[in-house]
Amino acid sequence: MIEVTNVTKTFGSGADAFTALKEVSVTIRQNEFFTLLGPSGCGKTTLLRTIAGFIDPTSGSLSLEGRDILGDPPYLRPVNTVFQNYALFPHMTVAQNVGFGLEMLDKPRSEVQATVREMLELVKMTQLADRQTSEISGGQQQRVALARALAPKPKVLLLDEPLSALDFKLRKEMQIELKRLQSETGITFVFVTHDQEEALTMSDRIAVMNEGRILQIGGPRDIYDHPAERFVADFIGDTNFVEGTIRAIDGEAAEVELPSGKTVASRRQEGGPQAGAVTIAVRPEHATLQAGEGLLSGTLSNIVYFGTDTHYHITLDDGHAFVIRRQNQPDARESYAVGDAVGVSFAPGVAQVLRD
Amino acid sequence: MAGRADTAAARRRWLLLTPALLVLIFAASGPLLIVVVYSFLTPGDYGGIEWMFSTDAWFNVVASRDFFDETVTWNDAHLSIFWRSVKLSLMTTLACFIFGLPTAYFIATRPKGQRDFWMLLIIIPFWTNLLIRTFAVMEIIRNEGVVNTFLINMGVIQEPIQMLFTDFAIMVGMTYVYLPLMVLPIYASLERLDFSLVEASYDLYARRWRVLRRVILPLAKPGMIAGSILVFVPSLGAYVTPRVLGGGKNLMLGNLIELQFGQGRNWPLGAALSITLLAIVMVALLIYVRQAEREGSHG
Ligand SMILES: Nc1ncnc2c1ncn2[C@@H]1O[C@H](COP(=O)(O)OP(=O)(O)OP(=O)(O)O)[C@@H](O)[C@H]1O
Ligand SMILES: [Mg+2]
Repeated sequence: MIEVTNVTKTFGSGADAFTALKEVSVTIRQNEFFTLLGPSGCGKTTLLRTIAGFIDPTSGSLSLEGRDILGDPPYLRPVNTVFQNYALFPHMTVAQNVGFGLEMLDKPRSEVQATVREMLELVKMTQLADRQTSEISGGQQQRVALARALAPKPKVLLLDEPLSALDFKLRKEMQIELKRLQSETGITFVFVTHDQEEALTMSDRIAVMNEGRILQIGGPRDIYDHPAERFVADFIGDTNFVEGTIRAIDGEAAEVELPSGKTVASRRQEGGPQAGAVTIAVRPEHATLQAGEGLLSGTLSNIVYFGTDTHYHITLDDGHAFVIRRQNQPDARESYAVGDAVGVSFAPGVAQVLRD
Repeated sequence: MAGRADTAAARRRWLLLTPALLVLIFAASGPLLIVVVYSFLTPGDYGGIEWMFSTDAWFNVVASRDFFDETVTWNDAHLSIFWRSVKLSLMTTLACFIFGLPTAYFIATRPKGQRDFWMLLIIIPFWTNLLIRTFAVMEIIRNEGVVNTFLINMGVIQEPIQMLFTDFAIMVGMTYVYLPLMVLPIYASLERLDFSLVEASYDLYARRWRVLRRVILPLAKPGMIAGSILVFVPSLGAYVTPRVLGGGKNLMLGNLIELQFGQGRNWPLGAALSITLLAIVMVALLIYVRQAEREGSHG
């Protein structure tokens, strides 16, 4: 639906030039909740603003439903934005804010009023329709900003870290609210966040960005279980990195020799490394602990009890650290002690060969 | 204990307020009081006043009594000067607004580093003496001045256009002199404007003109009100500019008042006229602010 192809954006020129987007390509599908996830300064806002029409890319192309929209100014793009600071008009009431877009589209008055009422109901703000925007709370402003952007029924809704200004509890509520709004309206959402948990819980698909590039695009499960790069594995959740050597590959499968000399069946990405020294990633909860020999062996250096689960910190024989996370069972006794010689194992296909 | 601390604090507060109060009493209320008192006295033969109660001055502000048959008529000369003053001040305010708004908008939309430079250009004339600035305007619009010479050389006109010593000249002069007073407050309110609001309105399908009309102008309103007041008030009392550019026949209120204290030797009338000027300003401001508030709350 939205096709971003090889978009590059360079700010400034000469010595001050800074490239915020580097050959970014991504396809966003109809009706999906698509998330741009990455650390601060990686270019998320720049990409979003390019789609909205506030930034002209240096090169590349952008199309919406097959039509090139790069030449269109923001007011011609059927795309609305929920701004990070909400940007509500301070000289208008809640209802006037929500109706603004429709008014600018010269919709008849009756239609504007009906849609405003409908939108305010959707975000549960009917009671406060005639309030001034300075007289409502942050969470309520957030809802008004959403209603305002949804009212003209855009093809795409862009949301730039809309929840970052809210406190924890409100944030959780609004996450659910946003999902509900998206499924009720059927509008494509492009959502920006630097909160990995938010991205995992809300998105249909996630694009992980760093330093102006998209590193990986996939569903939350895909991104979490099969990170393609060290950055992705590190940025999302906790990961153990183990050095190894590829012995054989077959499509997505790879035989990797571990420092212990044992080999393990791992997964690799299309276009990933084919041979030689590689890094593999193993999630702490995907590995198992055992007494005696495992795929890797070492000594237990610390045990941390977390209530829902326990973290076992292991120093491997080659000196690297490895963490295993195990879900706690009711009334289970701790069967390991610090200093025990232990083995670490993981099932075939669990370890992920990273592209570096 | 607490009571004593409170009174001590209260006393200190009054003590700290004293300089401001003194200024208010001696620099504002005092002179005003004197002017009010003078307006009810009798003019002295050689200027000044005689301590004799009289309402003649107030009578003479708007009316005149025929010297021979004592019939009372409106004082047309005064009324036409009041009218000209109000009219020219309103026109000056409007002209300042028409030129000042785009100027302020232009400066506020420059990159941050350049704004100070443009502001400086606006403010520099303020560092020059008012009289000199007024003579500069004269140089531009007089019959042998820059504009007429240019137009004649271009063949647009044969005879010079008489601009100097007209109401138009006064308006041009005042517009030039007071323009910065309009630009500064509007610029201040535009500069404070959150640019993401402009982006939000573009995003919500508003085109340039509508963004200006529906978002930028309403938000710059406090600056526009302040600027209009700052221009209108001194225009109404202007004295140097109409004197130089009006050539002595197109008087404004300021000149009329000056005349009473000078050649006219009628201080009470001058005082009464001064208070009339003050009253006009107050009434105009009241109407204006009311109107602006009403518009603000409705839309
Ligand atoms: N107008 C600009 N001129 C120069 N550099 C810019 C401009 N806008 C953004 N940048 C730079 O581009 C980079 C990416 O900025 P962007 O705002 O897209 O980051 P982001 O991923 O949204 O970060 P955050 O999570 O902090 O909002 C930053 O290093 C920023 O300094
Ligand atoms: Mg950002």
